[in-house]
Amino acid sequence: MNTNRNTWPWNLLTIAILFTLCAGLWAATKKIDYTWRWNRVPQYFIYHDETLIPAPFDGQVATISKLGDKTQIKVLGDNGEEETFEVDSNGIEVFEGETLFEGDYLGATFEWRAGPLLVGLWTTLWLSAAASIIGMVIGLITGLCRVSNNPTLRSLSVFYIELIRGTPLLVQLFIFYFFLGTVLDISRIMAGISALAIFAGAYVAEIIRAGIQSIPKGQMEAARSLGMNVPQAMIHIILPQAFKRTLPPLAGQFISLIKDSSLVSVIAITDLTKSGREVITSTFATFEIWFVVAFLYLLLTSVLSQVAAWVERRLAVSD
Amino acid sequence: MIKTVDLKKTFVGRDQTVHAVDGISAHIKPSEVVVIIGPSGSGKSTYLRCLNGLETLTSGQIIIDGVDLSAKKTDLNLVRREVGMVFQQFNLFPHKSVLQNIVLAQQVVRKRKSSEALEKARMLLQKVGIAEKENEYPIRLSGGQQQRVAIARALAMDPKIMLFDEPTSALDPEMVGEVLEVMKQLAREGMTMVVVTHEMGFAREVADRVLFMDQGKLVEEGTPEHFFTAPQEERTKTFLRQVL
Ligand SMILES: Nc1ncnc2c1ncn2[C@@H]1O[C@H](COP(=O)(O)OP(=O)(O)OP(=O)(O)O)[C@@H](O)[C@H]1O
Ligand SMILES: [Mg+2]
Repeated sequence: MNTNRNTWPWNLLTIAILFTLCAGLWAATKKIDYTWRWNRVPQYFIYHDETLIPAPFDGQVATISKLGDKTQIKVLGDNGEEETFEVDSNGIEVFEGETLFEGDYLGATFEWRAGPLLVGLWTTLWLSAAASIIGMVIGLITGLCRVSNNPTLRSLSVFYIELIRGTPLLVQLFIFYFFLGTVLDISRIMAGISALAIFAGAYVAEIIRAGIQSIPKGQMEAARSLGMNVPQAMIHIILPQAFKRTLPPLAGQFISLIKDSSLVSVIAITDLTKSGREVITSTFATFEIWFVVAFLYLLLTSVLSQVAAWVERRLAVSD
Repeated sequence: MIKTVDLKKTFVGRDQTVHAVDGISAHIKPSEVVVIIGPSGSGKSTYLRCLNGLETLTSGQIIIDGVDLSAKKTDLNLVRREVGMVFQQFNLFPHKSVLQNIVLAQQVVRKRKSSEALEKARMLLQKVGIAEKENEYPIRLSGGQQQRVAIARALAMDPKIMLFDEPTSALDPEMVGEVLEVMKQLAREGMTMVVVTHEMGFAREVADRVLFMDQGKLVEEGTPEHFFTAPQEERTKTFLRQVL
């Protein structure tokens, strides 16, 4: 390893190169006369939403009682009805005794709401998480079948793995959505998650198989010689060791899954990518939004790789 | 205790067939210590591995404590609990601490309570002389210490028979003694043991009977005195000349 003393000029050089690249990009966009509108971006993450509350009938305002941020407005109807509404104190639009007609606004409540980008980010997050968990289970089972002694299980798992790895995910998504979605009557979200999970499962299976086969034969023999049966030996001895070895490739697979999940936008699931496209149609801030979308994916993937690195360090106690 | 009748194990490879064990009949009595010697590739390990069902027999019969291993309905897992095995390469579980290595099978296989398994594990670690290492991981132990943990791990299952496959062959010379010492103590306590080893000193001192194998066959058997003073067969003499 280099010491800090020797690396700082190189770090400086790295920063200089990155800076030059950014400056170049900036100069290039100057030439095409693009107006950057970064200020339009934040409202698509989160915005202050105003909900106006209309009077339900003709009548008048009976009382207005203020309780801190909230205010209660009691309305008396011409036909003797009575109803109380709560609005934000700074959103009151009426005064006590005012005559009201049905549909007049009494006041407003204000709320912070997640914008389309945040909603899309959330969709991508839980979609990928669900697909990862299911994909892990499928991959684990398939990986075990792949190394089992039963020829049928082995052939079936090879068939599945080859089928999935030999066709594009985009095509699989279409098949899941248009064919299976129609035949089995599953929703588009279910179709998307299943396609991603089954896609990831094939790769996870190969990783698990390699992991299991990398464990020395003596481990299984030692476990069996103590009287454990094969499932017990797998659960307590082989899989924990295999899991430790396969953690880096598994993490890589799930990072890929997050990125691949952007393809579900083609079957009209409003994930981060599709939200980005929708925001662009209303803002025309094409460059900004795509950069932001890319950054958000990067955020998700780097959090995942940090978590994986942390787990890896935790498991390293026994080496 | 152990009876093998015309035991055969044949490995069929792509371009050759190996008769690793080629018709061995032997009878090992309770509390007997039997040492198996023989040149490399003579089938000693294979024979031993047949005895606890790690290899399936090609033909013949093994009867351990009245149970016929070759019978279809025999649950080998039940047999293996009663037959401990110690390997040349130790085969400790690297992801488990020393204590967990010994506790695990007791809980999983024997369904012992955690406290009972722990107590047993600590007692055995004391016995093999490494009580202070109970929380270490195997990788941080010396070879001799690892092999002693492996012995303790096998003993924790309360086996009726212990099989040793060259337990000291992977050890640095200065650690051979500490492992042999544990084995000698076991022998004194009356454990039935089958030991494959190149340690002729151990054979001479501890064995009740020595079996000499060559090319899958039992060439000669007898007491250590017989072997080391008056071997009969030519192949035995040649082998002993080389190792002594
Ligand atoms: N799984 C296997 N597949 C094919 N051949 C095998 C297998 N295991 C052992 N053999 C062969 O069987 C023969 C006996 O092997 P074995 O390991 O029992 O000998 P050994 O007496 O233990 O030798 P060593 O002293 O070197 O350990 C050898 O020729 C070996 O190549
Ligand atoms: Mg051997």
